[in-house]
Amino acid sequence: MTSFVPLTTVFPGLVWLMAALALLQGLRRAALWRVGAAAPVAWLDGLAKLPKRYLVDVHHVVARDAYASRMHAVVAGGLLAASILTALAILPPLAGFRPYWFVVALAFGVTAIGSLLVGARRYPAKQKRLSAGRFQILPFLLVAYAVGGTITALLLALRIDGLFAPLALALAAAGGLGLAFEVRHGPMRHAAAGALHLVAHPRPGRFEGRPDTALQPLDLDAPRLGSEMPADFTWNRLLSYDACVSCGRCETACPAFAAGQPLNPKKLVQDLVAGLSPAEPAYAGAPYPGGRAAQGERGALARLIGPDARIHPDTLWSCTTCRACVEECPMMIEHVDAVVSLRRHQTLERGALPEKAVGPVTELRQSGDPGGRPLSARTDFAAGIELPVMSERGGAEILLWLGEGAYDLRYGRSLRALIRLLREAQVDFAVLGAEERDTGDLARRLGDEATFQDLARENIATLAQYRFARIVTADPHALHALRNEYPALGGRFTVIHHTAFLLELIRAGKLNPGRLPDLSVTYHDPCYLARYNGETEAPRAVLDAIGVTRSEMTRSGKRAMCCGGGGGAPVSDIPGERRIPDLRMAQAAETGAGIVAVACPSCTAMLEGVTGRQAEIRDIAELLLQAVEAGR
Amino acid sequence: MIANADALLKPLTIKGLTIRNRVMSTSHAPGYGKDGKPQERYQLYHAEKAKGGIGLTMFGGSSSVAVDSPAAPWNQISVADDSVIPFFRQFSDRVHAHGGKLMIQLTHMGRRTKWDTEHWLPTVSPSPRREPASRTIPKEMEEEDIARVVKSFAQAARRCREGGLDGCEVSAAHGHLIDQFWSPSVNQRTDKYGGSLENRMRFGIEVLEAMRAEAGDDYVIGIRMSGDEMIADGLSQEDCVTIASEYAKRGLVDFLNILGGQARDHIAHAISLPNMSFPVAPFLFLPSAIKREVDVPVFHAQRVTDLATAARAVAEGHVDMVAMTRAHIADPHLVKKLSEGRADDIRQCVGAGYCIDRIYVGGDALCIQNAATGREATMPHEIRRADVRRRVVVIGAGPGGLEAARVCAERGHAVVLFEKSAQAGGQIGLAAKAGWREAMSGITRWLVAQVTKLGVDLRLNTEATEEAVLAEKPDVVIVATGGTPFRGHAKGAEQHAVTTAEVLAGAVEPTGSVLLYDEMGQHNAASVAELLAKRGCLVEIATHDRMIAEEVGTTNQPIHLRELYKLGVVMTPNMELIEVYPEGNRLVAALRNTMTDAEEERVIDRLVVEHGTLPVEGLYHGLKAASVNRGQTDQEAMIRGEPQPYDLSKGYALYRIGDAVAGRNIHAAIYDALRLCKDL
Repeated sequence: MTSFVPLTTVFPGLVWLMAALALLQGLRRAALWRVGAAAPVAWLDGLAKLPKRYLVDVHHVVARDAYASRMHAVVAGGLLAASILTALAILPPLAGFRPYWFVVALAFGVTAIGSLLVGARRYPAKQKRLSAGRFQILPFLLVAYAVGGTITALLLALRIDGLFAPLALALAAAGGLGLAFEVRHGPMRHAAAGALHLVAHPRPGRFEGRPDTALQPLDLDAPRLGSEMPADFTWNRLLSYDACVSCGRCETACPAFAAGQPLNPKKLVQDLVAGLSPAEPAYAGAPYPGGRAAQGERGALARLIGPDARIHPDTLWSCTTCRACVEECPMMIEHVDAVVSLRRHQTLERGALPEKAVGPVTELRQSGDPGGRPLSARTDFAAGIELPVMSERGGAEILLWLGEGAYDLRYGRSLRALIRLLREAQVDFAVLGAEERDTGDLARRLGDEATFQDLARENIATLAQYRFARIVTADPHALHALRNEYPALGGRFTVIHHTAFLLELIRAGKLNPGRLPDLSVTYHDPCYLARYNGETEAPRAVLDAIGVTRSEMTRSGKRAMCCGGGGGAPVSDIPGERRIPDLRMAQAAETGAGIVAVACPSCTAMLEGVTGRQAEIRDIAELLLQAVEAGR
Repeated sequence: MIANADALLKPLTIKGLTIRNRVMSTSHAPGYGKDGKPQERYQLYHAEKAKGGIGLTMFGGSSSVAVDSPAAPWNQISVADDSVIPFFRQFSDRVHAHGGKLMIQLTHMGRRTKWDTEHWLPTVSPSPRREPASRTIPKEMEEEDIARVVKSFAQAARRCREGGLDGCEVSAAHGHLIDQFWSPSVNQRTDKYGGSLENRMRFGIEVLEAMRAEAGDDYVIGIRMSGDEMIADGLSQEDCVTIASEYAKRGLVDFLNILGGQARDHIAHAISLPNMSFPVAPFLFLPSAIKREVDVPVFHAQRVTDLATAARAVAEGHVDMVAMTRAHIADPHLVKKLSEGRADDIRQCVGAGYCIDRIYVGGDALCIQNAATGREATMPHEIRRADVRRRVVVIGAGPGGLEAARVCAERGHAVVLFEKSAQAGGQIGLAAKAGWREAMSGITRWLVAQVTKLGVDLRLNTEATEEAVLAEKPDVVIVATGGTPFRGHAKGAEQHAVTTAEVLAGAVEPTGSVLLYDEMGQHNAASVAELLAKRGCLVEIATHDRMIAEEVGTTNQPIHLRELYKLGVVMTPNMELIEVYPEGNRLVAALRNTMTDAEEERVIDRLVVEHGTLPVEGLYHGLKAASVNRGQTDQEAMIRGEPQPYDLSKGYALYRIGDAVAGRNIHAAIYDALRLCKDL
């Protein structure tokens, strides 16, 4: 080559230029996050843990789609390796070392293969869950950069001069600079924002192997409550939404989306992204079901929610807070936090609860029960069986928290079974009876933080009067509130789900169930038990202990599909094309099991409400009681 | 799920007594009393309801507090001395063990009983006016009698409390002594116990005050009373509301158990115990009206046979507790099934009145469709699974065959059920075609639903042949082929008579003048007479008996008679059909008066006869020779509740049940099936 600057300098220079462009584009984007509120971030800790968070936690999610995982490893690994190696070649000893260029060529070659894998997801037809738009250009940019880079590196390795080199370099430059340019508005933003998000994640606890799922208490004296516009979110939340790679895994997992309700978590996140930036390119993924396409205002101070805004209130209220989207998100975005934050503003600042939720929330505020039922009626289900009450006993080993399910005719059966099992195992237990109030779960998920905090404080004060070692509850929603959300308000209790407690009793020999091999059972994981609390094994262990023939649904454990009963969705009752519990029961039917085992009053109510179902709905406690009776 | 079901499953607290739900059984007299005591049979009958989840079960309908109100006539209970207390204790322990509450009804029947039983004491009443139902003329009570009876009530209340019963009610309904004082149709006194309503209320007030003084004011005491006597010279609805409010206001009663009507004669009795010809809950408006005026809980019973009606009655606030007495006779586990989400498994009362009709002819209360009720010591309400799974073939899906298939399937056996017609139910299907008897089909509906749920291989439109039966390689064959209607012995009947069954099946459609000759005295002829009259025929119903529908009990027969009178059907008792022959295109039927032997002739268009059925037994005889037991049921083993002693390794055992043995009734067929199959 006869040019006055040698290719060995120009080529690394290109990569440095790309880095500079990417940095510039990234900073331009990052400037927008500054409108967000301050947030405490442990920077050093986050930075130190970034490799582990990426390689372990992110990989764990990405790997669920084996193709995507391979594709990403090859293309991202290749891209990073090839770019870094090339950038390092700015050092003359490396630039002049021919085998080094072979290695660079190899890295670009790997990137090229990865680029083809990226392209194969989008051409001839893109996978349904992926977004189109600028993502459709990504494979071409990658191929250009990788192929151009491969040829350039090979030319350098083989010391071949000629016209090829500038052409190849031009190709690499087109692709490479294009990719760098895309850091601001395009697909490559996910890499930059994603990495930063892993460092500055608002829920660092989730990387420490414990469920970090509790909603944070809202300062009710703050001048603004909840989020109305992008500027109301903390900056690292705005950052997190920018990390979205529009892969659509959340969309596939979302029960409301599946039911044709007007919610698509990907579109929701992308609306938060687009709301922030007037320059954001048009969204090119699946819309909210129902065909609504309002553009609304944009900008840091733009109103996000409203009939004419980007996000319709119905979208917000369709969410069951099941966290399936969060569980599936490879970018670790916290969709449910965003939904609740937006709901808080709607409820607390605008009084704009969905029409059908006004009654239950009002009742909750006024009488401590969403049905407006007398608190003393909570124990009606147990009339005729002895039920020790704390106010008469002063204390007991176990405080049995009954929850809202106690008012439900069907669920009373499950609680009676549980009580009979506790008696059988001679557990020293008592209930709060008329002193138990709703945990406030419904109010909190519907954004009524004030009512939640009132109820929580009343319950905490009541609980403080009595001596007990642990709280047992059959309601995962109550469990979550009591175990994970009350501590922030000063209530620290050891709370255990009834399935885990029953397993303890079996293992301690206090319950001796017979075996029920004739029963074919599939277990439906409650979201608030599996995803919110990580408990997927105890219920299965109980079922195994009673010897039922157990099968798993395609979606189970932490990836199970919601019954539709969480987050106030049943009271908001946003219409869709189908019903979530119908979809779930159809999935259960695929297993051929005659019984769907449940462990949550909401799931019981939702799944029992499915018409024409073939399978019986039985709580784990009911099945265990049957086994204990069979074992006598 | 039944709408408002949760309203039924809420507890009710009365003076510190918490009843676990709003479903109860009212006091009645099932005829299970023995020597005036509620002994094992009586106790187990109520304990079964408690086991089945009932909130409150009340026993001892018309339990007597004094010797001149004898317990003997309907095998009732005497609370007239302390010897009953140990039985009460045992009884209440049995019911309490299952979480139920137990109360009794105390009464003095006044004129509404017999003087010619037990102690042969004259009946007493405020005034000496004869009651048509009991046919006694009472002695007018003197003030000393009044004081004595008041004291007897008080002592009886004490015995209830000492016996561990959760409470009691006094009966002031159906024309007992207290309401004999209330009702101007009986009370014609001129002293302080007669005349004004205030005076007429006095006796009841004295009774309740004395009971409270003796048993303690914290003891639950209620009253059963009518909300409207529905007779011209009786208590009006307004009177009843006044009485109820006054007694409640004075704190004399902790609950009011309201019913409609009275029972001084046959039709009044039938109306106060409404059968299937009535709509459900026909008198719900009466307790509802009283509930508006009082602060104490209101109970009500009267043809609340289904939980949906019961739930509505409570949810809408008409009553606080709803009594489903006959519904519990049909299925004592009704509440349990509701609360377990198995409402579809409830054997619903069809309102046949078989239970109550039996007791008024001195029998014991038995359910037409549930043969275990009242036989709890020997018959299970929940069938235990067998240790060995057998192959059972049942032939005939009438009530007997269906019950046999159900019980065998509950036992865990593989059951094939052959039925040659397109529908299951056998003769019930015919009975249900006759006017207000339609609800009989509920018996079939439940049985079919159960056998279907239990996986019985029900083969409709399939006539069982010996080959088809043996092809199933059965261990047990049960022939329940039923009976075929019989035309009787009268000369010419075989050629010229048609049967009631043929009329109901639609095989013949009589027109013009019809003579219906009945030798059974059952529902069959009476209901077909009604049906034909409604279709426009001129109907005469003749019978060998002293009256029409003589075998039909007291809650059904008056309804038949009422309808037949209304339709102008000529009723001719004491006649025997001796011959029928054609004359031109008509028939001549010859009848002979059974008392005088005088013969009469009728020129008619149709002769319809009812002679019951003869067994359909061809298949039985075909299968008999090869069976290990030659078709015989070991009756003693069956009665002892032991398995039939046949070795099934050598071949199949053959049994026959129901009308296939001898024409009887639905209960007999179902009992045959249950008691045989529970041990197979």
